[in-house]
Amino acid sequence: MAVRRSALTGFFLVLAVLWLTPAVWVLVTSLKQTKDIVRVPPEWIPNPATLVHYSEVFVSARTASVGRAFLNSTVVAVATVIGVILISALAAYPLARMQFPGRNAVFAMLVGSLMVPNIIGLIPLYILFQGIGWLSTYQALILPELATAFGVFLLRQFFLSLPSELEDAARIDGANSFQVFWRILMPLSQPALAALAIFSFRFSWNDFTWPLIAMNKQEMFTLPVALSLLRGAYTSESYGPIMAGAVVSALPLLIVFLIANRHIVEGVQLSGLKG
Amino acid sequence: MEQEAGRVNGSVVPEPSPMPSPVARGGAAAVTTARPLKWRAVVVPYLFLAPMLALFLVFRIYPLLYGLYISFTNARLGRSDYVFNGLNNYTRLLDDTRFQVSMLNTGVYTVESTLPILGLPLLLALLLNRGVALRALLRGAFFFPFTLSVVTVGLTWLWLLDPLVGPFNYYLKQLGATPPAWLGDPSTAMIAIVITSTWWVTGYYLVIYLAALQDIPQHLYEAAAIDGATSWRAFWSITLPLLRPIILFVVVIHIIGSFQIFGQVFVMTNGGPGDVTRTVIQHLYETGFKDLFSFGAASAMSWVLFLVILLFSAIQFRLLRGRAEY
Repeated sequence: MAVRRSALTGFFLVLAVLWLTPAVWVLVTSLKQTKDIVRVPPEWIPNPATLVHYSEVFVSARTASVGRAFLNSTVVAVATVIGVILISALAAYPLARMQFPGRNAVFAMLVGSLMVPNIIGLIPLYILFQGIGWLSTYQALILPELATAFGVFLLRQFFLSLPSELEDAARIDGANSFQVFWRILMPLSQPALAALAIFSFRFSWNDFTWPLIAMNKQEMFTLPVALSLLRGAYTSESYGPIMAGAVVSALPLLIVFLIANRHIVEGVQLSGLKG
Repeated sequence: MEQEAGRVNGSVVPEPSPMPSPVARGGAAAVTTARPLKWRAVVVPYLFLAPMLALFLVFRIYPLLYGLYISFTNARLGRSDYVFNGLNNYTRLLDDTRFQVSMLNTGVYTVESTLPILGLPLLLALLLNRGVALRALLRGAFFFPFTLSVVTVGLTWLWLLDPLVGPFNYYLKQLGATPPAWLGDPSTAMIAIVITSTWWVTGYYLVIYLAALQDIPQHLYEAAAIDGATSWRAFWSITLPLLRPIILFVVVIHIIGSFQIFGQVFVMTNGGPGDVTRTVIQHLYETGFKDLFSFGAASAMSWVLFLVILLFSAIQFRLLRGRAEY
């Protein structure tokens, strides 16, 4: 039995290394000199290693600066995360803890919207933002994202799983609904809030179709849009800058992932499965 | 609202007399006691809901209805007055051979990707669940690609599958195979995109399956073992039936997602070679935002796709619906 387990573990270790090889190849390519990139057979250690592609995409890329796109993506993702957490939690609280007319209808509407594909909104949202002159602005990327029901759903499930004794005690001490929500429920919900934060950060950071359509100025491109257009600006012989851009765009989530691996996994498990 | 009963704010609130202890007061029980504050019981929850509902109205409901309206007009970029033109946009789709091709390609992608994207994570999860060491680390390794954007994933595999200088084909040749040109070859381009998507999302479904497997009570397996069931039999009679709701969830999520595939295609092939990887969203994007700026026609396409997705989801719910009680 122990032998079989070790064999299986060994098999999985090999498989995991193979699974990550494509990402390693991207990193290796980004560190090679242009003339070394297309060498056959493939070289897995850049020799000599260089950061020249990074400085090129960060400062003077041919389509849009990855540096500027990094800033845009950061602003949009951070604002989205803060907004999603606050607005989803505010909405989830009464849905989990209060009885009021229309509660089931509101909840059904929010959950039902999760079945509507995002593409349905692309054209009308474009016309809407064009009408108010908000194309190529941060708010065009942030606001529609705040209206996502996913966070409400996730946090409601989590609130329902918490015992209400503490809240009842606070009531007796004279706390109003908002104080109960803010001082008791929110601090108790940190694991779920962390999972939601990571999820909405990931979604916002990696979102592609809507930013591609809504951002028409180079200086407003987010990372995925800038990267996708970077591809067309270089020939296949100069993959260095493209791969450098890919590495840069992957870094923030890689760091989050290494720190909060468990939260991410819990978040996936919380999302729509349990309950 | 209901729990406002204890608040000191001047209102006269009748204390719920039959309550044994104020701490034990549950939500539903208190409602009946809070009648004098009924308006409050309605206003307070909606104050909490107001930001979400306002945003939802403007950025979900309105676009949904406005998009439906647009699909019956001749709306176009820069045109200020849209004229109602009935089912014109929809009937024109019947003549739009490129739309039909892209629908077909999207269907092909969905069919080809369903087995690997459903089966591979399930297989990995079942094996990982058999007492493999370092499970968290391994799970993390498989999950990592899912943290990347579709653009990064597309660029990664575009480079990896390069027929001339990419390592994928180099090693296949070393193994004695004659590898195809992948994205450059009409017969393999879609397969290359399926491989790319599989690499991207396997970790996500793996985590879902692992969570579901851990939820299966161990005593069921112990009872089965006592009755002399083989592990294969236990898999068929316990694991698989209890995984049914999760498999349904994964299938539905996957089908909804794969009908909307766009990023991989946009980055890796731009719909080519020829039109073999042109998908509905690619076609919709070009119709609405690149070539024609025809918003009416593009809206009609999005509604056709939406209805197809709804239809498939409904069919799957019917086919795979089952009970999971234990």
